[in-house]
Amino acid sequence: MRIVRDQGKRAYLTTYAAPRNDFLPRVRKALEIAATGGAEAVEVHNLGILKIAHDEVPALPAHVGGFANVYTDAGAEVLKGFGATRITPNYELQLEEIDQIARDSGIAMELLVHGKMPLGISDYCFLLEYEDKWGIKCPDLCQKDLFLRKDGWGMKSVGKGVLSGKDVCMLEHLPRLIAGGHRAFRIEAVSESPAYRREVAAVYREALGCALSGEYRQRERWWEAVRKHSRLGLCNGFYFGKSGMDYLGARP
Amino acid sequence: MATLLAPAGSLDALTAALEAGADAVYVGLKGFSRGGARGELDWDELSRAAELAAARGAEVQVALNTIPKPRERAELLDQIPRAMALGIRTLIVNDVGILVALARRYSELRLTASIGCGAQSEADVAFFKQIGAAAVVLPGTLGPTEAAACCRVGGISVEIMLHMVEEFVLLGKCWMPSYVHLKPTPMPGEANGARRQTGSMKRGGVGACFKICQQPWLLEDGDGIREEQMFPSRQLSRIAEVAPYLEAGVAALKLQGRSLPAELLGPLVGRYRRAIDAAVTGAPAPEVSAPALPASWTVVGR
Repeated sequence: MRIVRDQGKRAYLTTYAAPRNDFLPRVRKALEIAATGGAEAVEVHNLGILKIAHDEVPALPAHVGGFANVYTDAGAEVLKGFGATRITPNYELQLEEIDQIARDSGIAMELLVHGKMPLGISDYCFLLEYEDKWGIKCPDLCQKDLFLRKDGWGMKSVGKGVLSGKDVCMLEHLPRLIAGGHRAFRIEAVSESPAYRREVAAVYREALGCALSGEYRQRERWWEAVRKHSRLGLCNGFYFGKSGMDYLGARP
Repeated sequence: MATLLAPAGSLDALTAALEAGADAVYVGLKGFSRGGARGELDWDELSRAAELAAARGAEVQVALNTIPKPRERAELLDQIPRAMALGIRTLIVNDVGILVALARRYSELRLTASIGCGAQSEADVAFFKQIGAAAVVLPGTLGPTEAAACCRVGGISVEIMLHMVEEFVLLGKCWMPSYVHLKPTPMPGEANGARRQTGSMKRGGVGACFKICQQPWLLEDGDGIREEQMFPSRQLSRIAEVAPYLEAGVAALKLQGRSLPAELLGPLVGRYRRAIDAAVTGAPAPEVSAPALPASWTVVGR
């Protein structure tokens, strides 16, 4: 957090999506350090951790993550009572539904604008089966670019997690998100290279500035950058009511 | 004494479960229960189910385990008195929003946070207690020691899914099918425009999964195909640990399987009935031959 803050940036603590009892002491310790170390907020995907954060570090704002399964305004309202100040609604929701939750609950929404969308999480890493066979040990195993492919579509495996094979890309739809009142946008880069993080983030930094100025003109170099880092192509997730791997727009 | 809570997707299955010794049976209500391979009862069937259970001194619980959109939520809330008029007092729900809405409006209801709520720790149990749940369902992947810690939260009943399919992706944390294919389709027998969100397990109406996790995949890296891979999936039975779960303070031992036909469900329930009765009397656990259900159960649905 010091490194991030020394650069004038904001640091956030993220937490386990599906912890068991034996993880809770570690979570409590991390929350304590985050609260005293100046974290902006804690990202919480698990309702038990949300309660712990609310009870034990109430001054630390809670940002609810996509695995917490917020599908409705009613769900958002409940979590607001536990200190949630920002919510990533479940990825299956359409933009109109997200707009409505934001309006009805008064809570800011955090939207995935680029990157591989989380699709599932497990207690178990099946890649460990290949440690001996491939001669690659954990944690190097899940750092490889591994994709599960079938019939022309695919998903990315990161061991205990499954991500979309395609990268969600909302580059050409940023003005729509801004018009919807949203201001918190996320690039999901948990399994990506430093170059991906640097170059895609630079594209969105510039594009957001452009969209907020009200004069949105897409640059070809933006598209060259995002396409370069997208192995299986681009999609819009569920924002437009289609299957998550579909892309709706002028550009693929 | 802990309750043996059995599933039923039809009246035949419900009858079989009751005859085999279930203390309570949970059923789905058409339109508000996760469908797919799982059977759902209409209102006439639910009424008959309540009668059949009452005749044996058993309870029917209703699983309302989708997450209705706001319009559908209002419709659902309006229908609760009809269920209560049938004697239904326990509802199993899958969303914190609907749980709190039901608790505020119908204080006489007993609300259970379903296994799809994803509770796995004592902190999760404490959360659901605070928002008004009377019970929370934990997966059978938690052993008796973890269950005991959850029971110590107190003020909320802990139920354990003692027999279930353990899939690779955690229950309630999967939207792989809808990433590939999400298609609203009319719900059979419904004239009011209700639609299934095929591909989504959780969204409003009825989610129906088509189990892409149970298909073989090609696992490849930048150098090409490395393996043919299937996500691990297995039938999980904790029948040998009934006694430790009871000692842990678990209030209900629950079985998964609303898709099971009566001829498979009855023997499954009977097997757990005998195990519970033996544990309660201190007798040795009955010998069981594994598995209880055909291996295909993990593929065709629960």
